[in-house]
Amino acid sequence: MRVLIPYIRRYKLDAIFATLAVVLQVFATLWQPRMLQTIMEAIMTQDKQIVFHYGVGLIGLAFLGIAAGIVNTVFSARLALNVATDLRADLYDHVQRFAYADVEEFSASNLVVRMTNDVNQIQQVVMATFQQVTRIPLVFAGALALALVTMPMQWWVIALMMIVIVGTAVVTFKLMSKYFAQTQQDIEDVNTLARENLMGIRVVKSFVQEQSQIATFAKTSDRLRDVTTKIGELFAVLMPIFFLSANIAVAASVYLVGQNVTVHPTYLAAISSFTSYLTQILFAVINGAFMMTFASRAFISMGRLHQVLDHQPSMTFAAAGPTHVAGDITFDHVSFTYPGDATETLHDVSFTAKAGQMIGIVGATGSGKTTLAQLIARLYDPDAGRVLVGGVDVRDLPEATLRNAVAYVLQRATLFSGTIASNLQQVQPGATPAVMARAAEIAQAAEFIDRLPEAYDAPVEERSANFSGGQKQRLAITRGVIANPEILILDDATSALDARSEKLVQEALDRELTQTTTVVIAEKIASIIRADQILVLDGGRVVGHGTHRELAATNQVYQEIYATQKAKEGGQAR
Amino acid sequence: MTDLKNAGKYYYHYLHRYWKGFLATAILIGISTWCIVVAPTYLGRAITELTDYLQVWGNPATRAQASLTAFHQTLITYILLYCGDASTLFVASWILARITAYSTGTMRIGLFRKMQRMKVQYFDQHTDGDVLARYTSDLDNIFNALNQALIDIFLAIAQLVGILLMMFNQNAQMAWVTIATTPLALGVAAFVMRKAGKAVNQQQTDIGALNGYINEQVTGQKVIITNGLQADSRAGFRPYNDKVRHSAMTGQIWSGVLMPLMAGMSLLNTAIVIFFGSWLALNGQMKVGAALALVVVFVNYAGQYYQPLTTLTSLYGMIQLAITGARRVDEVRNQPDEVAVPDGQVLTGIDRDVKIDNVRFSYLPGKEILHGVTIEVAKGEMVALVGPTGSGKTTVMNLLNRFYDVDSGAITFDGTDIRQFTLTSLRETVGIVLQEPQLFSGTIADNIRFGAPDADMTRVVAAAKQANIHDFIQALPAGYDTRVTDEQSVFSAGQKQLMSIARTILTDPRLLILDEATSNVDTVTEAKIQAAMDNVIMGRTSFVIAHRLKTILNADKIVVLKDGQIIEQGTHAALLAADGFYAELYHNQMVFD
Repeated sequence: MRVLIPYIRRYKLDAIFATLAVVLQVFATLWQPRMLQTIMEAIMTQDKQIVFHYGVGLIGLAFLGIAAGIVNTVFSARLALNVATDLRADLYDHVQRFAYADVEEFSASNLVVRMTNDVNQIQQVVMATFQQVTRIPLVFAGALALALVTMPMQWWVIALMMIVIVGTAVVTFKLMSKYFAQTQQDIEDVNTLARENLMGIRVVKSFVQEQSQIATFAKTSDRLRDVTTKIGELFAVLMPIFFLSANIAVAASVYLVGQNVTVHPTYLAAISSFTSYLTQILFAVINGAFMMTFASRAFISMGRLHQVLDHQPSMTFAAAGPTHVAGDITFDHVSFTYPGDATETLHDVSFTAKAGQMIGIVGATGSGKTTLAQLIARLYDPDAGRVLVGGVDVRDLPEATLRNAVAYVLQRATLFSGTIASNLQQVQPGATPAVMARAAEIAQAAEFIDRLPEAYDAPVEERSANFSGGQKQRLAITRGVIANPEILILDDATSALDARSEKLVQEALDRELTQTTTVVIAEKIASIIRADQILVLDGGRVVGHGTHRELAATNQVYQEIYATQKAKEGGQAR
Repeated sequence: MTDLKNAGKYYYHYLHRYWKGFLATAILIGISTWCIVVAPTYLGRAITELTDYLQVWGNPATRAQASLTAFHQTLITYILLYCGDASTLFVASWILARITAYSTGTMRIGLFRKMQRMKVQYFDQHTDGDVLARYTSDLDNIFNALNQALIDIFLAIAQLVGILLMMFNQNAQMAWVTIATTPLALGVAAFVMRKAGKAVNQQQTDIGALNGYINEQVTGQKVIITNGLQADSRAGFRPYNDKVRHSAMTGQIWSGVLMPLMAGMSLLNTAIVIFFGSWLALNGQMKVGAALALVVVFVNYAGQYYQPLTTLTSLYGMIQLAITGARRVDEVRNQPDEVAVPDGQVLTGIDRDVKIDNVRFSYLPGKEILHGVTIEVAKGEMVALVGPTGSGKTTVMNLLNRFYDVDSGAITFDGTDIRQFTLTSLRETVGIVLQEPQLFSGTIADNIRFGAPDADMTRVVAAAKQANIHDFIQALPAGYDTRVTDEQSVFSAGQKQLMSIARTILTDPRLLILDEATSNVDTVTEAKIQAAMDNVIMGRTSFVIAHRLKTILNADKIVVLKDGQIIEQGTHAALLAADGFYAELYHNQMVFD
């Protein structure tokens, strides 16, 4: 709840109007039987004047009810949407302050779910609260009070009815709760099987396992069917018992009126209103139980949003410091362990690269190559040792300085939907066509961009689905070089490029960005064969450091990798 | 309208076998409704009897004759009627709950069964998410509607009919008054629902755009952070968010106002009934007791009459979803099945050769992918398919075990067209290792024996050994009983690939197709996979789709595909000597001193 209060306070007028309208609505509903009672008495005394007056009053009351209902809906919706929209905006702003480790900790898809589904859940609950929940206790209390005023001595009939109803509900839900948990599990199992068979349809078909998969699925599905049957059967008990007990209460109260009719003859006129109050109490209790289950889901959502909003970014940047740094990189006895991991990913890594050099990093999957690059861009901070860029510890650099100095191009090239130009101008605001063209030339992207009818204004679809893997990577490199960074990290960023284009990219980088230090992470030895220095990583340690020629001659790990890629017989270098 | 027709057909297909249950439900609900509509007349009668009693008692002359016996009997009848209502309603709900659970269960299995029979084409043309949504959201919507709406619809209709009958039976004048506002209420409801439908559509569109933006940005958060684009991202978010604020507000107002409006209409209707009832009571020729009873009974009816109307309008959204859901699931049900060739020849092995003879093929009409491809492989030979992305390599694999059928030309095993074999025997003879290894929930052992579920552990272990994955599995705490789940990525791509190779080895196929998995593994792991693949290939006829040439240097024949045509073929040495496309590919990939 804590998370919602400031937002509701921000829109308190909406909340107040919505609540006032509910009160009016409840008043209209509850007062009608009361007026009916007066009319009944008037009929008994043949008082036409009163009957007419109250008749008109009743119709006025009904219009009041309708108007109040509309007003309530409008303000509830306003409140719900204002609260949800502001909450989502604050969440989004907060997530944008997260360091990369924070995003990883929650996982991107999980954050998306929280900003979409969970916020949506809360929106619905706020709406329901101001439409229904405030109404239920009001109806309940109002109907109870009026029922007691109408026939004070029959309080115990009402009490008895409620005990039976609530008792039945509690017992049934208790029985059902274990089935609910079972249902969730079964639904998950069914969906998992369906998803696996969907993704593996070729496997199933080529192994001719359709029948065995159907049998497995049928077994799981039948489990789900049996547990839903049990829940349904229990549910079937509820409503009949509720209505039966309410109507027995009605009969009991009529009976009691009958036994005392000679003493209190006016109660005769009150029977109708009393029974309608009883019905309203019954529905308030039923709705209340329903709202309870609804609210419990919302509490889970609120808890999940709390987690995000209460999570403080794990990394802060220096507020002031140099605005520009050179491209030298130094790792000074750097060790790093991912949060929650037992083993170190990098152990005591040291090296120095001068501005303008090309550094190659090779090693098996999981050897720590990407982690090393991420420390240069300060996506994480080392546990021990220092990372220096331009001679300054990255922890002493303001965020803008570091981001301007380091361009990081990932293997999975991510472009944002928009146009090619919009993607480039995000990084280099106001980049002219000439500037964009130069960057595209370097990345060997110009040749395909120029062939597009809209050239740099060509649309980029969601997930950049309208470009091939190689094109995406070249666009990502274009974005990486457009701002002339001091350090360019290519994290397996040329994996989808053929050898010739890759060579052209590297030559263009040499020619155009002479002061840029290039860090190349690659599976292919061919990608880093020309590097000024190559680091060979194995299990987070630097096990080799030198040029290709040196390493090929002396380093065992390097030789092993090299052997898998070396030309066999008959080939020659070109 | 066709939506409704298709949905109707779908529901008929799955529900008609429960006709006895539905009939029983209808009868029970008829009885229950009869009880409910008749009961208020006893309440009215009780009041009349009390009033009469009071008059008899009030007169000293007749006081001795005053008796409450009739009154008591009426009340007992009243309670008995509600007992009848409760018990019939319980049995009806119980029957419907069972029908719902069993019919949706059958629907679920039916969908799954259908999925296993459909052509691969369907899955290639639809995203996984789209197909999966039929299990998750569509079947769910159907279940919800059957579970909640079905009984309510039964009740609402019965109640409506019952109350109308009772009202007209009691007092036609009052009955007309009670239903007088119905056209107005229905008109208002229809108007609001149409508005709500439009507004909610707009709302969903805007929410979709917002969610799309959030998804794209947050999954690309690494790019945002490394480029320092947080402020841009926040600025871009705002217009999407504000658009949702406004359109969702309109959507929520229109859809939220329906219930209070109907409740208000009910209130208004009751007021009108009271007004006219009391006017009638005062100006008619009725006794006071009868007049009072008339008002009480009709106030009761007025409330009850509006209940089913409100119920039906509130169920509208749910029913709409169930119709759409049924239409979407039915769409799958009407997809063509694979041709199983049940009375075809049973393929037992390959004795001489496999021929791909002048094959043309297109996934979409007019967009031919293979333009007359001919490849011959003798028994026991290995053929490698090489070529750039989109050249048609994977398509050839799709044709060999009939995931797709050729447009023209033919694929023959020992001279017999593969379309003449039973599909089962064909696929049992052809084994495939796919590029993306797909494992299933269960243990590692279950996965290795996937193609032969009754294989014993000896065979499982032997296959794992051949695939070079036995030592790794042994080193796991639970060994072969280690659970594999889709979500957790305990296994690397390379390990998964080795397990899928073991899976294929165990079934001992005569013809093998290997779509190499190399894009996600480093070259050292690749060498391990290569060694395992060499083990499988040995002694079998095989097609290997090669991405890294290193792995196919020993092939008996290398076929180079480009744009759906064979441009070169021969051994590695011969192709290198030819210095053509293959030679260039080779030089691009390899490192030379």
